[in-house]
Amino acid sequence: MTDRSPPDEFADVNEAVSEEWESETTPYERIRHVVAHTYSPVSADSVADDARTAPKTARKHLNTLADEGFVETTPGEQGGTLYRRSPESLVVEQAADILEHVSTDELVTRIQEMREQLTEYRSEFGVDSPEELAVNQTNQALAESESLQDEIDPETIREWKTLRRNLAFANAALSIGNAEQFVDSDRRSTDDSVPA
Amino acid sequence: MRDSPDQAETHTLRGATDRPALLTIRDVVEEMEPLATPELDDYLHPSVLEVMLDDGLCAADEARIDIQWTTRDDYKFHYTDTEGVNLRWGKHPHAGDYIHVPGLEHYHPPPNASSDPDEVEASCISQSPEELVTRAVLKLWRVAYHTDSYEPLNAGRNPP
Repeated sequence: MTDRSPPDEFADVNEAVSEEWESETTPYERIRHVVAHTYSPVSADSVADDARTAPKTARKHLNTLADEGFVETTPGEQGGTLYRRSPESLVVEQAADILEHVSTDELVTRIQEMREQLTEYRSEFGVDSPEELAVNQTNQALAESESLQDEIDPETIREWKTLRRNLAFANAALSIGNAEQFVDSDRRSTDDSVPA
Repeated sequence: MRDSPDQAETHTLRGATDRPALLTIRDVVEEMEPLATPELDDYLHPSVLEVMLDDGLCAADEARIDIQWTTRDDYKFHYTDTEGVNLRWGKHPHAGDYIHVPGLEHYHPPPNASSDPDEVEASCISQSPEELVTRAVLKLWRVAYHTDSYEPLNAGRNPP
């Protein structure tokens, strides 16, 4: 069994792990890392804080990442630019990871199962989306203040949202996998037709 | 372990489980902790990253940390071991129920990861990027492991 020596002394665990992270990575890597899972638009200053870089450095790298399609920009209300992870780039990244680890056959089966589960949620609650369900619940609560009966477990709403998100990733993986196959077989059949 | 039903509504994590973040956390754990083997409970549709530990704290021979992370950066890191000891670092709204916790980050202490409003402590982990929270949990676990004590887990420091 591998072991390791006890950690060095530290006065504040937050400071200690930040310093380690800083010493093991470049500012660009940290900025890319922080914005990778930033799904709501934030300022370059906020990314700089989390990534422990100067705001100017963050802005420079975020703009590069935006040019590459990793990041999406929106104008902020008080001027300035806000940044978030590009949903398109996130979907492509997750799809690539899934294709690398899950066979097409398994993907097809699992997507079918997940779709069925999604349909079950819709028919069980009589609404099309978890957002609609939350709104309905609020309206019901406002309408009849004493109603505490069919309260839906908030954990169920969360599971529904998670299912939808993971099904989207899986579906993208299958589509990309199929597309690659056709593009590839097209290329090969062209090669075949080249006269010897 | 679930919170009691009357706490369920206000204590639920905000946002869907974030598969991309769980993959990142898996990579951090793999790189940092030689005793740990992290694995998603379901590769395509995960709800938890299960981290198996080849050794536990104090008398425990084996242990596990179950990690949840959402699209809104809420989280739970739940430690459980073969001695039946449980504890948990968490970040999610608690409607002010945890009277000693001014923010969202909190700590359910051992031996039973108590959710008693008076026993839940403010967490020593205050940063939010998953990379840093994961590193902090692993470091606190390491200190506790080498000192054979649960005390360092929420002390936030490692005195000489």
